Amino acid sequence: MKSYAIFLGCTIPARQPNYELSARKTLAKLGVELVDLDDLTCCCPPPIQSINLESSQAIAAYNICLAEEAGLDIVALCNGCFESLAMANAALKKDKKLKAHINEILAEVGKEFKGTIEVKHFLQVLMDDIGLEKIKEKVVKPLSNLKVAPFYGCHSLRPSKLLQLDDPERPTIFENLLDTLGAESVEYRDKLKCCGGLLKGISDDTALSLARDKLVNTTKAGADCISTLCPFCFVALDIGQLQVKSKFNEVYDIPILHYSELLALALGVDPNELALRSHKIKTDKILEKIA
Amino acid sequence: MEQPKIGVFLSDCGKQLSEILDFNALTSFVKTVPNVALIARGSEFWRGKGLQIIVDAIKSGKINRVVVAESLTKISDVNIVQAVEDAGLNPYLVEVIDIKDHCAWPHRATPAEATEKAKAMLLAAIERAKLLEPIEKLEFSALKSALIIGGGIAGMQTAVDLADLGFEVNLIEKTPFLGGLAARAGRFFPTDDCAICIQSPSSDVKTITHTSRKCVYRSGFSEIPNLNILTNARVVAVEGVPGNYKVTIEKKPRYVDADKCVACDKCVAVCPVETPDEYNANLKNRKAIYINVPTVHPQVYVIDESACKFHDCAKCVEVCPTNAVDLDQKPEQITLNVGSIVVATGFREFDSSAIKEYHYDDYPDVITNLELARMIDGFGPTGGAIVRPSDGKPAKKIVFIQCVGSRDRRYNPYCSGICCMISLKHASLIKSAVPDADVSICYIDIRTTGREHEYYYERAREMGIKFVKGRPTEILKDTETGKLIVDVEDALLKRFLDLEADLVVLAPAMIPAEGTKELAEILGIDLDTDGFFKEYNAKLRPTETKQRGIYLCGGTTFPKDAPTASLHAHSAAMKATKFLISGKIVKDQRTAVVNEDYCGDCEFCPVTCPYGAISLEPTTEDHFVARVNDLLCEGCGVCVGTCPLNAIELRHSRPDQMRAQMNALMSVNGTSKPLVLVICCQECGHTAVDSSGMAKLQYPANVRVMKVPCAGIVRVNQILEAFKAGAQGVMVVGCKSDGCHYEVGSQNAEKKMDLAKVLLKEYGIEPERLEMFKMVFIEGNQFAEAAQMMTARVTKLGPLKLMENL
Amino acid sequence: MMTQKTEKTTMSFSDEVTSRHGGETLTSCYQCGTCASSCPVAKLDSSFNPREIIKLSLLGEKEEVLSGDAIWLCCSCFNCQERCPQNVEIADLIYALRNIALEAGHSPNIYSDFASALIAEGRIVQISKFVEKKRADYGLPPLKPVGVDALNKILSATGFSKPEKTEESR
Repeated sequence: MKSYAIFLGCTIPARQPNYELSARKTLAKLGVELVDLDDLTCCCPPPIQSINLESSQAIAAYNICLAEEAGLDIVALCNGCFESLAMANAALKKDKKLKAHINEILAEVGKEFKGTIEVKHFLQVLMDDIGLEKIKEKVVKPLSNLKVAPFYGCHSLRPSKLLQLDDPERPTIFENLLDTLGAESVEYRDKLKCCGGLLKGISDDTALSLARDKLVNTTKAGADCISTLCPFCFVALDIGQLQVKSKFNEVYDIPILHYSELLALALGVDPNELALRSHKIKTDKILEKIA
Repeated sequence: MEQPKIGVFLSDCGKQLSEILDFNALTSFVKTVPNVALIARGSEFWRGKGLQIIVDAIKSGKINRVVVAESLTKISDVNIVQAVEDAGLNPYLVEVIDIKDHCAWPHRATPAEATEKAKAMLLAAIERAKLLEPIEKLEFSALKSALIIGGGIAGMQTAVDLADLGFEVNLIEKTPFLGGLAARAGRFFPTDDCAICIQSPSSDVKTITHTSRKCVYRSGFSEIPNLNILTNARVVAVEGVPGNYKVTIEKKPRYVDADKCVACDKCVAVCPVETPDEYNANLKNRKAIYINVPTVHPQVYVIDESACKFHDCAKCVEVCPTNAVDLDQKPEQITLNVGSIVVATGFREFDSSAIKEYHYDDYPDVITNLELARMIDGFGPTGGAIVRPSDGKPAKKIVFIQCVGSRDRRYNPYCSGICCMISLKHASLIKSAVPDADVSICYIDIRTTGREHEYYYERAREMGIKFVKGRPTEILKDTETGKLIVDVEDALLKRFLDLEADLVVLAPAMIPAEGTKELAEILGIDLDTDGFFKEYNAKLRPTETKQRGIYLCGGTTFPKDAPTASLHAHSAAMKATKFLISGKIVKDQRTAVVNEDYCGDCEFCPVTCPYGAISLEPTTEDHFVARVNDLLCEGCGVCVGTCPLNAIELRHSRPDQMRAQMNALMSVNGTSKPLVLVICCQECGHTAVDSSGMAKLQYPANVRVMKVPCAGIVRVNQILEAFKAGAQGVMVVGCKSDGCHYEVGSQNAEKKMDLAKVLLKEYGIEPERLEMFKMVFIEGNQFAEAAQMMTARVTKLGPLKLMENL
Repeated sequence: MMTQKTEKTTMSFSDEVTSRHGGETLTSCYQCGTCASSCPVAKLDSSFNPREIIKLSLLGEKEEVLSGDAIWLCCSCFNCQERCPQNVEIADLIYALRNIALEAGHSPNIYSDFASALIAEGRIVQISKFVEKKRADYGLPPLKPVGVDALNKILSATGFSKPEKTEESR
């Protein structure tokens, strides 16, 4: 049984019990042990990097040190946390000068970055450690007839040189993982374009236009739902649909489900245990479709 | 060998030096030095009456060593050395020092000190002269034949030039047909005439008049008796030395007998196999038996063995009227013995599928310039029509994208130089043929630097070709219309454009030909950081390599247009004749030699030698020793600097000679400052000293200069010896790191000096007393400053305290 | 419409940016515009154009860049950085510009809120008692303590300054 230090970040534990529940339950079913470490902090995503990039990188490195001390690789659920930690991990492993500089800062809190662990995205753990075959074996409720528009978000893939999750122009990991659940992934226009999530509160008009684009394109492609990997993307498209309705007077009624939620359903987890009611766009019709 | 009898000739350069140096004191000083048989003073000794005095002294038997204190050593010593040789004395028994640029002029403000330094310089020259040994002239025979690797326009041009001069020339081409990129390009800019015309050899081929430029197929090029053309063949191994290369070639079977084929085309008609035609950019199919284009050479068909069904079909055999098809032909191994090798392998287009967002791999209507060239060519797969490969319909809206994989740090950081012109050529040809075509070029910068290239750009604008300054981010496909959409920002307008296109043409980077790395290893020559064959020196020796008998021509060193490739080809031909004309290579034995008793077979020197001149050979006692090949050795001494056992020596720059010079230079001070020894390489380092003197820049006379062939020869223990000899500071001056004339010497020296500093610390010597500098001729002021800086530094450090057991 | 003015360019702003974390690659830019056409925001909001921001920075238009709205409009999608042929770290560069702007007292107020939360609780989203109870209801494990002290020590070691709230005129 492989163990990982789970990195929840800030948004998921506070606001997305659906993500956390589905992730914990599915990984448990697939034989992965999750360890909750003490003293983790915010990963320092773009909003903090915008205030001070150096502080952010040092704090990300600090969090990695905690995992190094526990001898565990990190699994991140949120794209933002994945990017922040994986970028710091890769950059410090590659650049000796940078590593020395950050370690000078970390010395103030008695830590030293050694570069001994990997930071993985939830999808990577599923793909590389568990494998498509094993997941398929454990599927009890194949999601046949379900057309899913996979939405990678930005920070699972880019910047690809540091994150190395998949081909940034033609990724397939998400589609493969959906396929193994029996679902059909749907190609749609501008599938790798940003949802605008980080612009909320700064430029709501732009944010909403970008969210709307996604809703338009996935609907045009005939998707039953959109699957996400990031809590910001989720919010942008879930609550975002209601905002789009107010502003543009358009109804899409396309549920948003994290991959972990689809995985949980396929593995036979009771939908009532997944906090699906927290979704603003109700998931009932999806549940009906896969029943 | 008889006792040294040294003649010392002191020039006062038309009395100007005696205004600064006390020549009487110098003469008196020299008289006291043992083994000096003759002292002469004069106005100049490098020519005229002065030179005659030296010659007479030699001929009379009075002297058997010559020391000349002159000015402008670099120019004047050539004369002196030749005269000495003509007089019957070995020319290496001469030591010339520059008493003007290295002494009188830089120290003119302190004449007494200058005189003292001159004494030290003379003593050093005399002591070195005592230890000089005669160096023999070696002669190596050279075959009067050449091999040209690569049958594109450059290779063909060089081949013809050499064949014209009467040498045996072998031209080898890996594909079944000659012509390279030119044969596929159709027309060449800026004249838009046929590329094949430029392929034609010089008009000296028999019966062709001075002014005609016959196409290659009419020129009789292939019938030149001393030109042997091998197609479908590759070089797999090269052994030997310049003048005598043994080249192993693998020739793939053509399956068609060149002597019988009459090019009737009947075989093509009956062949049942269709396969994509890569020559025509897969825009159409061809048969398994084929010929590329009617005007190409050789006019002999060839069978694609990966597609042919051979004896399961054999229809071509049946139909051939002259029984030219031979399905049982086997690969052949051919050995050629040649004197010179010229590499002319050219370049190719970068594979644009790496840039996935441009969809070169999965949208058929995204093509490259070379593929477009095939379409535009009337002999090409579409008969000259510009069409969309996806459905064959005419392409009316065409968008070019420049710098695909070029000027791109992720792929090829350099600018390929010719792609702007290629796209402008294609755009203009399309607009001429189809006036209502909508043609746009997306660019980062338009580079039209060659002769007449700017007018080409002007004319393109006049024709209504549109220019968008912006590099597109992506090519999209409109799922309904099937048209391509180029997503680009026009940076000048700050406006986003979605350019609709029937055809998108990519201008990819031009990269080294396939197989370049392997060929470089086979030949033992270097590649530059972009992967192209590296010329010896881009400015001075653009068609030579660090290997004496191997030359480069054409696009093989960097992408070029046809006129430049042609220039390059002629230059390579000229260079390649150097020893082909005389049939011999004459070289002095100023080379390295191994003391086999000391050699520990550690393999350092064969690996370090930039010229591959050292190899390990078995001895009778079943172990290996290093041996130096006198023909390949360039006399740099980098091996000497590398050997951990002092087992290798460079003739004419032996450690005992160097020690004698050091000791002599440090034996006379005469200034109030601490002595600083400068060890300069003979290439760049020494020239910086020369130029500082020539410019009359002042530095103190406690700075004493000795020269070595290359800074790489200096050993760490020699630095310690310098301090023991009395130096308070040591400067090592070499070529720039990326410009060492012996490839690696300067960088090696730098690493060694870092090591030496560590060692000095162990011996209680301040490491700052040693410093390495890299300078070239025009940096004479930097030398003067460095000399002043080091003097001040060691003065501040105080007198050196050497440990007892040093 | 910009009126003609003699440009008093100072190279020092360019140096200031390249000496910052994230700003090191500013001068590699050759203004090809790939970033602009890759940018989802630029296509919707003409006041934001990454190529233009870089050009202004290279030219030394410090005031315009730092006090303007533009640098706050990047959505950090990294598409530009992914596609840039000169490996300019454009998104990181925007962070560097924001860092400088913040120190000079310019920033949207929302950043002040993020910083306050981070400093107080080590998280940018505060966990209330209500949330903790809900977690228990869902059967989620209680949250482990956050390393707030360590985080704050690191913030002060790196000169992190909390942005002040200003009169928002956006």
